[in-house]
Amino acid sequence: MENKFKFLTKYSLLKKLKNKWFLVANIIVLIVIVGLVNIDSIVKFFGGDFNDDVKIRIVDNAGYYQEVKEGLKGVQSYLTDSKIKITKEESEKKAKKKIEGKDDILLVLNEDSNNVFKVDFITDSYVDTVKYQAIITSLNTVKQSIALENSNIDKGELAKISKEVTVERSFLNEDKTKDEEESKMILSVLSMIIVLPCFMLIVFLVQMIGAEINEEKSTRGMEIIIGNVSAKAHFFSKVIASNVFVLLQGFLLIVYAGIGLLIRKLTTAPNESLVKDVASSLDLNEIASSLANGGIVDKLGYIIPLIVILFVLSFLAYSLLAGILASITTNMENFQQLQTPLLVISVIGYYLIFLSAAFPGSLFIKIVVCIPLISISLAPSLLISGEIGVGVVIISIVLLALLDYLLIKYGLKIYKVGILNYSESNLWKKMFKAIKEK
Amino acid sequence: MLKVDGVTKYYDDFKAVDNLSFEVKKGEIFGLLGVNGAGKTTTFRMIMNLISPSKGEITWNGKKIDYSITDKIGFLTEERSLLTKLTVKEQMLFYGALKSLDEETILKRLDKLLKKFEIEEYKDRKINTLSKGNQQKVQFISAIINEPELLILDEPFSGLDPINIELFKSVILELKEKGTSIIFSSHRMDHVELFCEKLVILVRGKSVLEGYLKDIKKDYKIKKVIIEGDVKIGELKKIDGVTNAIKTASCYEVTIKDESYYKNVFNYLKTKDNITKFSLEEPSLEEIFVSKVGEAYGK
Repeated sequence: MENKFKFLTKYSLLKKLKNKWFLVANIIVLIVIVGLVNIDSIVKFFGGDFNDDVKIRIVDNAGYYQEVKEGLKGVQSYLTDSKIKITKEESEKKAKKKIEGKDDILLVLNEDSNNVFKVDFITDSYVDTVKYQAIITSLNTVKQSIALENSNIDKGELAKISKEVTVERSFLNEDKTKDEEESKMILSVLSMIIVLPCFMLIVFLVQMIGAEINEEKSTRGMEIIIGNVSAKAHFFSKVIASNVFVLLQGFLLIVYAGIGLLIRKLTTAPNESLVKDVASSLDLNEIASSLANGGIVDKLGYIIPLIVILFVLSFLAYSLLAGILASITTNMENFQQLQTPLLVISVIGYYLIFLSAAFPGSLFIKIVVCIPLISISLAPSLLISGEIGVGVVIISIVLLALLDYLLIKYGLKIYKVGILNYSESNLWKKMFKAIKEK
Repeated sequence: MLKVDGVTKYYDDFKAVDNLSFEVKKGEIFGLLGVNGAGKTTTFRMIMNLISPSKGEITWNGKKIDYSITDKIGFLTEERSLLTKLTVKEQMLFYGALKSLDEETILKRLDKLLKKFEIEEYKDRKINTLSKGNQQKVQFISAIINEPELLILDEPFSGLDPINIELFKSVILELKEKGTSIIFSSHRMDHVELFCEKLVILVRGKSVLEGYLKDIKKDYKIKKVIIEGDVKIGELKKIDGVTNAIKTASCYEVTIKDESYYKNVFNYLKTKDNITKFSLEEPSLEEIFVSKVGEAYGK
């Protein structure tokens, strides 16, 4: 029986790996991930007016051309792919003719006794919001500076007013540091990024188990299989093979991201070292520095094992549930419907991550994080950000382990009856009866 | 030897099989007959250890059936049990491995069987591209790839043309000769009559008739008299002991209550000229089946 179990697990895994659609899907995923990592290069490659120079023409009727020109240089920081060019125009009429049919911006500065100066913002067509806001912000800054200068404040006072406020961050609790605070924020964002592919893998896992069991159930092939191998061995072979497959797929996603970064390095900065470029492209150096200074690296020693346990138990719970649900359905369409609540539960967890940022310290979220199946999405992010402690995560793990145990103990009974059941009549009665059987 | 001993199976309050007992010895072909819903499939599932009897016991050579024994059993289900996305070879490797066979043995046996069933060219074809008849051949091969000691055949001729039915018949008889015990279920009574020495007829899970076919026919009192000649149906029906008389394309078939009324018919025919044939024949299994099942449903 042990050999048959090994055979079924190997068969199930190889069937997925040898499937030509696995290869096709992975080629597509590889292209998509590499494309996403290099999306800016792709956009630039195809070109467009986003990298054209931004020409700002100024008609100065107020006598502040130099100040405005200096102030508008700040707009450059908002424009990554184009350069800003500022020119002075003699008359509004001539300038308007020059910008006809172009993306140029015409600013007409007019005197305004109450408001230092006022500006007419003229373009031939619409202008994008970022550009518009950046110019308005710069003009406001210039106006404030001129107003302050005009109010006869001495230069020392003026410098004080213009200077940014100095903030000294401190904690009453001596264990807390600014670096740790920053590193928690970084890791919290990172964990949200990591949870998304995990969510995708859960969907993948649930659907894969359902499809495979339903395929065998759609003919009387299941009778031949269960006639030769126990339902228990069949069930666990599916669960293990699918989890190994998903793990492998997860690893491949990481490899694809690595390939994307490598291509980014080769196409953008051929003279720089790979490590440096990869690191700089993601600001890894900065992140690593913050993490090291924040002392969070030391805490990863227990955070990572806890998260790994949480992931393993959650994936197991999802696959056990998917197997049980697939066994009681009679075709793939029914399974698709039955799996929906399961997937909605995992989505809830993902949405609650964002909600937790809006409601820090929420008791509701602290309770929900303990709920099995939701905890996988929520707990890692909250643990890293310090919203919940290790104790809460341990409670989540214990509850998950309990759910897995119950699913194995009672779910297997349902599975045994379900996989040989081809009728939908009295379905739930049959399943409850199966649970009660010794 | 397969022994089904006092087996009863309940689904909730519904009794699917009621105190069923029979034995199938080595090299014997046993007929398990009944209308749809009579309990045949439930019985097969219990023999295959897919479900447990509520009462009674099923043993193979004195041992309760478990997964070490099901390796020696071949099962051809009435409905298709093939994984149709696989090729014929992949299917056999899968089912063969579940019967604890190694790959080399499976492929060796597969080549032999594909040749026997004249479908060698389909070895690497996906099952869903094959015709219904060829799929049935593949299904049959999958049931005997383990050279079973006990073979369960549930409607084995489904979807086959007459030529392929002959092919299947020869393979089944060959297996019997080799000592395979076979349980056979079919709605075609002529097929059952051809193969089965022993049978049981189930009605609502209960056996209404069982034993050796020759004994069943012998013990079945109602007989049939075949007459060729100038006789009248109305006169035949009036004879004492005659329960029915019909005219077929070539003769008259007269049903009598039992063999003792044969003489009454004979005496009537003596008064007639031009009688070319007069014989007493045993009823067909189909007639016995219809009669017994009808009787049981009448009750």
